[in-house]
Amino acid sequence: MQGWVTLALLLSLGVECSLGQNGVGELPVPRGLTLNPDLPAQTLSLTWQSDSSLFDLEIFHTELMNVVLNETVAVKTDPVTGLHSWTWHSPLPLECTSHSAHIRARNQQSVSQWSPLQTIPGSDIPEKSESNMFPQDKVVPVGSNMTFCCIVKEKEDFKEIMYGRQEMSATRLSRRTYAITATNQPVSGNTGTNVICCSQRLTLTGAVVFVGYPPGDEGLVCETRDLASAECSWKKGRDTGLRMRRSRTKYTLNGRDCLEANERKRWWCSSKAWEQSWTLVARNPLGTVQLTDSAQLTDRVHLLAPVNVTAVEVKAWSATLQWSWSVAAYKKLEMVCQLQLFAHELNSTRNYSGPGLSSVVLESLWPDVDYTVTLYCGSKHGFWKWGDKSAPYRIHTKMDRPDALDVWMWMDSSNTGRVFWKPLSVRKSHGALVGYEVSQSSAEEDGWTPVSLPPGNFSYPIILNNGSDITVAVAARNPAGLSQPSTVTTPAYRADSQLSMSELLSTNGSFVLSWQPNANASSGYAVEWVPTGCSGLCPVDWKKVPESDSSFTLNSDSLVAGVRYTVSVYALSTGAPTLLQRWQGYSQEMTPSQSVRELLPNQSGSDVLLSWKATAMENQRGFIRGYTIYLANAAHLELIANISDPEVQSYRVKGLSLSSYKFVVKAYTSAGEDAGATVAIKMEMDTADMLFVGILVPLGIMFCCLILISICCYKKREWVKKAFYPEIPGPKVPGDWSSPQGPLDVKPSPHSLVHIVESPEWDFTKEGLFPVPEEEEESENDNIEVDADSDEPALLRYYNQVVGDGSHGNQVSDSSGSSNTSVDSTQTEITYAGIQSPTSSQGACGGGGYRPQMQSVIGPAEPQIEFEADFQDDGLHAGYKPQCSWQLDSPEAENFSGSLGSPTSVTSSQFLIPESSEEKPQPSNTWFHNFLSGKS
Amino acid sequence: MEGAADSDTPVPERSAADRAAALARLLHRDCTRLLELYKEREDFLSQHAPGGERLVTLALCPEAPSTAEQVGHVRSALRRCMELLECLIVREVEEMGEELQGEYESLRKTVKDRLGHLLHSTGALLENGEGGCPPSPPMQCIQGQDEVEASDSFAAKIWTYKVLLELIHWTDSASQTLHVFHTEKHGQQQQQQLL
Repeated sequence: MQGWVTLALLLSLGVECSLGQNGVGELPVPRGLTLNPDLPAQTLSLTWQSDSSLFDLEIFHTELMNVVLNETVAVKTDPVTGLHSWTWHSPLPLECTSHSAHIRARNQQSVSQWSPLQTIPGSDIPEKSESNMFPQDKVVPVGSNMTFCCIVKEKEDFKEIMYGRQEMSATRLSRRTYAITATNQPVSGNTGTNVICCSQRLTLTGAVVFVGYPPGDEGLVCETRDLASAECSWKKGRDTGLRMRRSRTKYTLNGRDCLEANERKRWWCSSKAWEQSWTLVARNPLGTVQLTDSAQLTDRVHLLAPVNVTAVEVKAWSATLQWSWSVAAYKKLEMVCQLQLFAHELNSTRNYSGPGLSSVVLESLWPDVDYTVTLYCGSKHGFWKWGDKSAPYRIHTKMDRPDALDVWMWMDSSNTGRVFWKPLSVRKSHGALVGYEVSQSSAEEDGWTPVSLPPGNFSYPIILNNGSDITVAVAARNPAGLSQPSTVTTPAYRADSQLSMSELLSTNGSFVLSWQPNANASSGYAVEWVPTGCSGLCPVDWKKVPESDSSFTLNSDSLVAGVRYTVSVYALSTGAPTLLQRWQGYSQEMTPSQSVRELLPNQSGSDVLLSWKATAMENQRGFIRGYTIYLANAAHLELIANISDPEVQSYRVKGLSLSSYKFVVKAYTSAGEDAGATVAIKMEMDTADMLFVGILVPLGIMFCCLILISICCYKKREWVKKAFYPEIPGPKVPGDWSSPQGPLDVKPSPHSLVHIVESPEWDFTKEGLFPVPEEEEESENDNIEVDADSDEPALLRYYNQVVGDGSHGNQVSDSSGSSNTSVDSTQTEITYAGIQSPTSSQGACGGGGYRPQMQSVIGPAEPQIEFEADFQDDGLHAGYKPQCSWQLDSPEAENFSGSLGSPTSVTSSQFLIPESSEEKPQPSNTWFHNFLSGKS
Repeated sequence: MEGAADSDTPVPERSAADRAAALARLLHRDCTRLLELYKEREDFLSQHAPGGERLVTLALCPEAPSTAEQVGHVRSALRRCMELLECLIVREVEEMGEELQGEYESLRKTVKDRLGHLLHSTGALLENGEGGCPPSPPMQCIQGQDEVEASDSFAAKIWTYKVLLELIHWTDSASQTLHVFHTEKHGQQQQQQLL
């Protein structure tokens, strides 16, 4: 008994000890663990049998026993199979290396023992010695992460793994396996992204991954073209980036493959029969898109284009168009068609409707116009969209007669004028014009006188005879015929000067005209505008206004800025137009293009009167509002006046001093001043003042001075005579010379020529002096030398008494030595070419003797030399030489052309030979001597 | 074609061997350019040259003592290259569709056409078809291979690269062999003329 107890204790202790060691003794180990890998999906399914529902799982990379999963999961028994099943998605391709797994049951804190390890072999086992990379050709979405592994060939080294061009950091998983993880993958190129595993020498292996997007298609729409079948189209949406065949998007429409889209030709699918609803499924490895559409057939009719479009009847104003349909079912379809007519400035769109429409009449066409017609139709009931357009079809309408012309007549004088008409537009000419016909008639003449004009003419001159009105009719002609004539009667000529015209102000470059309605304007009004002052072929323009209107806006398009227009309004009736009102104005005023004309300054004392004329009207370019006058200084213009009255065309500038001035006159309009005209003036004294001050006053003063001097000299003549004209002392000569005994015969010095010209009154038989013959002279007086050069042996005598007469105008001869004789003189003139000293030829002056006229003789060459020698000698001797020194001081020492008063002139022998023997001073001037003598 | 002369200018008549040699040289340049274009598309080929077996070898063919027999062997290799090129085109078109029409696709077609001309002209040179020897390994182009799940795009790229290498190699061999063949023929003709 005691033995059994001991055994029981030992067994209980053994159990407790066993429980204390494991703690799991009560939980059974899961049985039958199997691993089922899904390699493309990178999943591993584990199945086992167990009564528990909570399990611990561990998965390893077998070779290095790295734990890649350690997780507790609750897995219920599959009621069908009675197995537990759990799937693990591996981030690493299962081929990369061998994976092992075991499992144990868990209940709260107690667990069972681990089941035996189960292993699935990788591709890195020794039996598979070649290089490999996993996964291959995987298609993944953009931005995903992905792990690649490279299994290196046996006995081969590993260098790197490249993802595209990017070198990746590799992790070793087993002896031959290396792995990388690419994160946030970008979209691939056309042929995918290459992942390359390299050794040191070469490329070992690689894989291609295709990174893209799921389908992005949208907007499925189905319609019918033939009222039976269906065509469904959609928008492709975002590019998936997957171009390889295996990864392209595949399409099905209502479960049927869409061949057109799958062949990547176009994004639509066709179906032979219409169905009420449509479902398009677009699928690629990354996703699926499902598009739906639902509609009745009649609501989705998209007609085909009309064919065989032709114009069966073309007229000037209409044409009939026909076409046919390629689908017979259209003939019963109620449809609406739209025609587009294209022509130059004549585009239009017209709608027509009817069942099976195949013909329309095009109304309201324009003659002689090329139209291009395009036609398309749609279902009238449940209109879906316009059908395809037909091919363009060309229609050329026929010509028609032109419309009536717009005619106006403008009179430029009381007898002459010109009829104008406006060119017809394409819409109104209805065909190319070939000319115009102008006819005129007057009250005095019966019938019309037609004139044909070429199409380029738009006016025709009119001449009024006897002042009677003329009615002119103008019509245009084209190949289709003549237009209705337009008539106009000559309006009465009214010159601008005859009217009181108001100034017309523009508004934004336009003239807004208004006038009093006129009862006579049965045909409305005509507004005429023409450049003011124009003559000849003027650009006359006009606009006819209905009689209901009494205002008109003349737009700036018809006007030229800076041009003055005369705008007239006429009342139109059956007769001649009646002028109602006339204005003048500028659509836009500008500064004058030219300055004022004829700007003239006129000095009046210290004032200057500026006057000018306005520039021509065509140059004014605006209403002249006034003038500004400037004084031009060196650098700027100083405004001195602003004349706001344009009629004032002069201005007086007052109070100017004697100087030069420059004035600028500018005309101004509302737009501003012109460049200005400039005039300069130099202020001068008055003519009378200048004559008085400049001429008469000096003359008067001089005259008075002369009189005073003359009076003084006369009163004091004795004193003057003593002071300036002392008595010449008589010559001191040996012998008794004081009182001559008789006539003194003087024999001229052989070095001088002395001509004594006797007055004709005395002896007209002798024309000059007669030198004394040498023989006689020698015989009578040895002191007198004979002139050897003289060929006339006349006796030369010196008469001292001759001086007593006092009226001799003797002149000294020139250097020729010959004397000039004044035949007018009533006395004998004595011209001394040189008077030899009475003593000897060896210098009377040098010897201190009297040689009164030795300096006045210039003889022929040789005598001249001698004379000069003597003269020089004279200068060396002191003594009385009353005329030697005078001659030396004379600036005209060598000019002996005799003049009264010349130092060389000897008027009288009175001074040469004094009346008394006393020495007296030689008079310095002959006229002065005469003056003092009271002789003229 | 290269060497085409002005019709108005009389030129010495070129022999068929000479023309074939010229065509082979032209084709060699085309194939070289084609490989460059392929490397531009698959740039990893420029960085790491893949290794592996040759696609076309004449290892099992007997040695060719005569030049004519060598021409025959080269022609056999070119025929294999032609088969490979056609298979390559089919696979690429199937894989990529006909949307891509760049210089590579255009030159690829040109190479195929000129290779056909070269095969025809070399065949005409060989009177009795001497030297013909089927190359190894045997060729089997599996159309629709890309439909198989386990298909390998990277392997296909490597295969395409090898095909282009074979084209370059064998067109170069053809130009050299045909040049020798032309030289020998020309020498024999001159000797016959001398005799």
